[in-house]
Amino acid sequence: MKFLTTNFLKCSVKACDGSNDNFPLQYDGEKCTLQQNNDIEFNAEFLTNILDRVDWDAILTVAADLGNNSLPREKPVLGTNGDLTEDDLAVLRDLHTLLICTSIVEGQMQCKNCGHIYYIKNGIPNLLLPPHLA
Amino acid sequence: MDRVDRIELGSSMLPTPYVNCDYETVYEPCEDSFLLLDCLEDQQEYLGSRFQDALSVVCELGPGTGVVTTFMMQNGIPTSGKSVYFGVDISPWALEATRDTVRRNKCDGIFMETVQCDLTSCLKPGEVDLLVFNPPYVPAENVPEIPDDAVDRSRWLDLALLGGENGMAVTERLLQQLDTVLSRNGVAYILFCARNHPEEVAERMRNEYGWEVELVIHRKAGWEVLSVYRFSRKIM
Repeated sequence: MKFLTTNFLKCSVKACDGSNDNFPLQYDGEKCTLQQNNDIEFNAEFLTNILDRVDWDAILTVAADLGNNSLPREKPVLGTNGDLTEDDLAVLRDLHTLLICTSIVEGQMQCKNCGHIYYIKNGIPNLLLPPHLA
Repeated sequence: MDRVDRIELGSSMLPTPYVNCDYETVYEPCEDSFLLLDCLEDQQEYLGSRFQDALSVVCELGPGTGVVTTFMMQNGIPTSGKSVYFGVDISPWALEATRDTVRRNKCDGIFMETVQCDLTSCLKPGEVDLLVFNPPYVPAENVPEIPDDAVDRSRWLDLALLGGENGMAVTERLLQQLDTVLSRNGVAYILFCARNHPEEVAERMRNEYGWEVELVIHRKAGWEVLSVYRFSRKIM
């Protein structure tokens, strides 16, 4: 499961929908196995669009869960007149490495509201609930 | 059949992805899958202009073999180089098959994630721009329960087919989630068969919930009439 996906997954439990703690899920850094994968080539425009879209606070939180505290506190702002500077490109490359190339192959994460634990196996996150919670 | 072909079914221009899966566990691409491909091909321009300016989050519910998601990835639907794809299925077999089909068709260079989940319950609200759903639409006494393990293969296949009363039990649940899961500008393409009474469903979604609902394609397939409807919010 690629890092970027953590920006889209919340707890499946319906009763948690009213809570602000059901997103992002809390990733267990000790139990998560990370892998770097370069299948997807760097594309500055794609990354610019992703940066526009992501919830930066959630990125920071999950990165910290996984032991990465090196991200800027505020969402990076790119050059405004359309042309990307060398600095912008460096930022986008770093994000590419984190969001697109970094995967959690095995691991687990937990809802901060209800505590339910979800697992990632063979790179596929399982957000199905057992019958008594569904 | 391990080679999927749409040629006999229409005059499609875009090629069908190559699919080779275990059809004891995943739903083999059929007329309904091909209708969705043709529908998306027809809608390619509309979707391209609707989503040209930003990242698009695409989500296929119940991708099965992954033929539809792969088709979108191959052909840059809705946008090329600006879309990320999620295949969300209840069945672990379908998720494996989807990943495999994406790989076989050399689409690994595009962002795609498979997530095991019941419909959209794990998706952050308001994020999906393009949702595609070929639901279990066959009328049946009830919707099968999720098997306890991956062992009982045919029961997973039943889940892909049987849609309870009027074949609408699963689709109806998704329709109730639509307003939550779609982004402001989001659109959903949902496949129906005639026994689902899609016109009544469309009318209800228009009147009770204020959705814009349009029949975009329909076709006779054997003794069945299949159709795809497009759901979006009224112009903002």
